Amino acid sequence: MTISKILVANRGEIAARVLRTAKARGLATAVLRHASEQEGPAHLIADEVVTIDGPTPVAAYLDIPQVVEAAKRIGADAVHPGYGFLSENAAFVAALEEAGVTFVGPTSEVIDLMGDKIRARAFVEERGFPVAPSAIEDDDPATFVERARAVGYPLLIKPSAGGGGKGMRVVRDDSALEAEIDTARREGERYFGDGRLFVECYIERPRHIEVQVMGDGQGNVVHFWERECSIQRRFQKIIEETPSPALSEAQRLDICETAAGIARAVNYRGAGTVEFIYAQDGSFYFLEMNTRLQVEHPVTEMVTGFDLVAEQLRIAAGEGLSAAQADIPQNGHSIELRICAEDATADFRPAIGDILLLDEPRGEGVRVDSGILDGGKVTTDFDPMLSKLIVHAEDRAQAIARAREAVQNYVILGVTTNTGYLDAILAHPDFASGDVSTGFLAEQADTLTAPGEDLSDLLMAAAALSDERLVSDVMQIPEMHRKMGGWRN
Amino acid sequence: MQRIFQIDGEEAECWLSHDGNNMNLNTPDGVIPCQLEPTGTPGGYVLRMRGRAQNVRLAVGPDATFVHLNGKTYAVGRVDPAERLAGNDSGAADDRIVAPMPGVVVSVNAKPGDHVKEGQPLLVIESMKLETSLIAPRDGVVAEIPFAAGDSFGLKATLAQLAPEEE
Repeated sequence: MTISKILVANRGEIAARVLRTAKARGLATAVLRHASEQEGPAHLIADEVVTIDGPTPVAAYLDIPQVVEAAKRIGADAVHPGYGFLSENAAFVAALEEAGVTFVGPTSEVIDLMGDKIRARAFVEERGFPVAPSAIEDDDPATFVERARAVGYPLLIKPSAGGGGKGMRVVRDDSALEAEIDTARREGERYFGDGRLFVECYIERPRHIEVQVMGDGQGNVVHFWERECSIQRRFQKIIEETPSPALSEAQRLDICETAAGIARAVNYRGAGTVEFIYAQDGSFYFLEMNTRLQVEHPVTEMVTGFDLVAEQLRIAAGEGLSAAQADIPQNGHSIELRICAEDATADFRPAIGDILLLDEPRGEGVRVDSGILDGGKVTTDFDPMLSKLIVHAEDRAQAIARAREAVQNYVILGVTTNTGYLDAILAHPDFASGDVSTGFLAEQADTLTAPGEDLSDLLMAAAALSDERLVSDVMQIPEMHRKMGGWRN
Repeated sequence: MQRIFQIDGEEAECWLSHDGNNMNLNTPDGVIPCQLEPTGTPGGYVLRMRGRAQNVRLAVGPDATFVHLNGKTYAVGRVDPAERLAGNDSGAADDRIVAPMPGVVVSVNAKPGDHVKEGQPLLVIESMKLETSLIAPRDGVVAEIPFAAGDSFGLKATLAQLAPEEE
């Protein structure tokens, strides 16, 4: 099945990133855009922009019949889902199959299996791969609370259909268990339309390490090494890197081979990521498998030299993998920073505003995957992530230095972003030594958001002198009064 | 000409004047000559102050001036003195529950006229993909909850109002 025209059913930075590779491969390209959505880089790259509609912009991107209809109408023979939205929706994949449009990703059966955390976990466990001690509500709902208790504290409650940390609650004390189960169930019902839960033992100071895998659907699976994603706020990653500073060479091979084994067990097709929880003692457990391209895939591209979207498109077109395992290197070190419109000093509250000035860093080993344009508007319609800054260098210390320089030179004016906060993380001695866990940002919250040097005089001067009306008023005060100056009321 | 700025949540007052040669920033700590010269790059200036020349990038937004300085970006809020003097006459601060962030109302758990206890959840909102319960700041009677489940609201929107306390 050759692919000649592709619709990217996504937006923002990932749509732009997928379109670039699709174009480079000579495909005709199209992308979606909601009627009320700001123009972004993707709309400038795509040959065609298809307007979609819905009660909210997000609802439009989740509207399966509308997206399938858009693909048919423009004559697209393939759809790339990006991440989020419909990327892990088995019904969407089935609807495309029925319409005769190729989905760039795995089969709907695999999405179904891996999308259900409980089934996925059971599948993985049955085949001898490591999973954490747990209690699954569905096994016997009547005894769920009792069995959860038996797992011991601290424990973690998760919606079985969940992802992205939504609905996850850590319980440290038995008295809070039942109330937290109720809250998690409500969140699960609302986000995923599914209130079923499971509980697993909460590993103290865990690291989050994941492995990029790629399969051709014909039994061949390779891995593209690991990514360390322990720097998270609210269970969501904001800095990712590869290689992981935690792993020895033997552990690295072990975790990567385990991931590839899991992917082989489902005869995986396309790009996927197997996520693990990694304990301080070096043991690791299967967490989940994401059946799509990840936000943080660029760090893998930087160290391996492979374009993962190109691999996805090859596999979707039936051309298979372009490399054998031995051909996939892990050169140097790469770090990704997620640039988000949010106020790190106010509980990561999303920020909105107009982008008045945008100047992205450039240079050797610096890559920016951006979803914004100068003059654009940041609203709360979508996720607060604006862009990703990715750096590559020979080793970890140089990559950190390069990332710091680049993020300090990333100028986004008009909306509050987390660039200063990201720089503070990179500057932290524990980050430098690699001694972090998924709780790092919460533990170090005060240090990371501490006010720096007091620059208020400089800032006031800059704000006052750039206020044209103020300066013009001041200049018009007669000479005599000027000399008086000083404080008057 | 007086200005009030907000930097890192703190208000700071200053006064800009001109002595025939220099612009002066008058702060409670003293008078500091200062100068801002465009460099030619978009939003780029050299700020001269205290014997130092500092490269800055800046942009003037509706409520704040954004300044990129020493590798960090700052939002310098501009406080309108008139607005501040007018104060808030719409009730005591603890009568109102103000949106801590933009979001969507998940559920409303009280209605106007209800007697509520301090700490009682009045409504549940969702922002940043997380649920937050907003609780009554004191015992009292609900005067107004202007949003219904499913409604979205902006930052600082009044989500619930208690009737003024009877003295």
